[in-house]
Amino acid sequence: MSALSHFFAMGGYAGYVWPAYAVFFAVLIADSVAPRLRRRRILRDLRGRLARQTARERRSTSSTPAP
Amino acid sequence: MSAPLEHACAAMLRRDLTLAWRRRGDMALPVLYAVIVVVLFPFALGPDLALLQRIAGGLVLVTVLLAMLLALDGMFASDIEDGSLEQLVLAPQPLALMLGMKILAHWITTALPLIVIAPLLAGMLHLPAAAMPALLLALLLATPLLSLLGAVLVALTAGTRRSGMLLALMLLPLCVPVVIFAAGAVAAAQEGLPWFAPVAWLAAALILAVVLAPLACAAALRIALDS
Amino acid sequence: MAKWIPLWLHKLGSPPTFYRFAGAVRPWAMGLALLFGVIGLYGGLVLAPPDYQQGDAYRIIFIHVPSAWMSMFVYAVMGVSGFIALVWRMKLAEVVAMESAPIGAAFAFITLATGSLWGKPMWGTWWTWDARLTSELVLLFLYLGVIGLYHAFEDRRQGARAASFLAIIGVINVPIVHYSVVWWNTLHQGSTVNIFGHSKMPWDMLWPLLAMTLATKCYYAASLCRRARTDILALESGKDWVREIAQAEAAR
Repeated sequence: MSALSHFFAMGGYAGYVWPAYAVFFAVLIADSVAPRLRRRRILRDLRGRLARQTARERRSTSSTPAP
Repeated sequence: MSAPLEHACAAMLRRDLTLAWRRRGDMALPVLYAVIVVVLFPFALGPDLALLQRIAGGLVLVTVLLAMLLALDGMFASDIEDGSLEQLVLAPQPLALMLGMKILAHWITTALPLIVIAPLLAGMLHLPAAAMPALLLALLLATPLLSLLGAVLVALTAGTRRSGMLLALMLLPLCVPVVIFAAGAVAAAQEGLPWFAPVAWLAAALILAVVLAPLACAAALRIALDS
Repeated sequence: MAKWIPLWLHKLGSPPTFYRFAGAVRPWAMGLALLFGVIGLYGGLVLAPPDYQQGDAYRIIFIHVPSAWMSMFVYAVMGVSGFIALVWRMKLAEVVAMESAPIGAAFAFITLATGSLWGKPMWGTWWTWDARLTSELVLLFLYLGVIGLYHAFEDRRQGARAASFLAIIGVINVPIVHYSVVWWNTLHQGSTVNIFGHSKMPWDMLWPLLAMTLATKCYYAASLCRRARTDILALESGKDWVREIAQAEAAR
């Protein structure tokens, strides 16, 4: 038995130790990814709003001298 | 210019009780719910006398608690709808005292019928007669405590639209000690042990809550209605 | 606000300044968290010897105990900043309180999950109604209640204040729950389990634990910075400085 497989066997408790570490890292990664996605969404929404606003302004300035 | 405080309190109490009496059907709902739950349990567990006896006290307590939770949601609902709660916040009388009266009225209309019917429910589950005084005393102390704690949470959710599930989630951590001590008193009485200590703890908690909960309720209401 | 609060704290209270400050702190905190984490995990999983009673199963302690500490620490931070938010109506305190809640809930969840994974081989059961476990579960419910109340309001600042109030109620509640469950356990003669059977931990088990504790603290700081920055962007989305960030991000 190599040292590495001995390490992964965790003295027979591999079925408990490694899931525990997996939960730890999975939850923390989810916790750090969530705000990143939210930030991207907020900025995208904001850019969309700004684009709509400038488009509306351009339309109103181009249409006012016409009549 | 404002009426004496005791008149205001009495008027508040009378108004809420009159309103509740006009909608007697709603008052019967928690009682009916408690009866249904207690009737269903023997069907699920089998008519084993010893088992039912063992769980009777806790079962009645939890059933009463859930029935109260059912009615808790509507504590301030109609007053928020018609705007009278906002009037109350602006009134010259201390808000905490007025809310205390409202909580008392709510306790009388929802918890008192449940306490009245509790011996019947406990009897259906064959709770020994020796434990009955402990059960009634525990209920008499635990239900106002739950009304007071629940009122603070209801006030916090006053500004939101749907709050039923949220209220249950928020109340659970607060009612754990109440359930432990109330059920502890009944269990001790059932085993023939002295059950004064948990009841005394409940009474102490109730006295604290009577003083603090209306104040917290008023503060919570100001936060939730502030816009 | 009072005069004794130094000027830099006032400045830090303004959202754009805090946004830049948190942005500067975050990489350092995250770097330290990773550094301590790697050291602690190497020490805990490789260097530390197996326990004489529990074998290798005890190695869950290196994530379980730091998470449990953090779940309480984050709650304390949430309670204090919630109190500041209610008393002084500081926007930033509201942000810190509300953005701490998901992190604390994550740590409470990790504590419960790893605890039951540890309990199964050691006590032969996934769950026992022990005071410590029950209090942790109640703590998780408190976190969920705070998060739920915050999101139930349409007005975010109002929701933050209501949820802060709930958090403060919870601060009083947690010790009451803990002691009542202890009393309940003595009444029912429940299983008396003691996770820390040997109170004196040998040094080569202790230092990885301390390293992991530091790692989770630093991680919390980093995560809070990121969440607070995001939340400030959402709160201030009408302001010019946020627009500039949005445009700059689009250009990249």
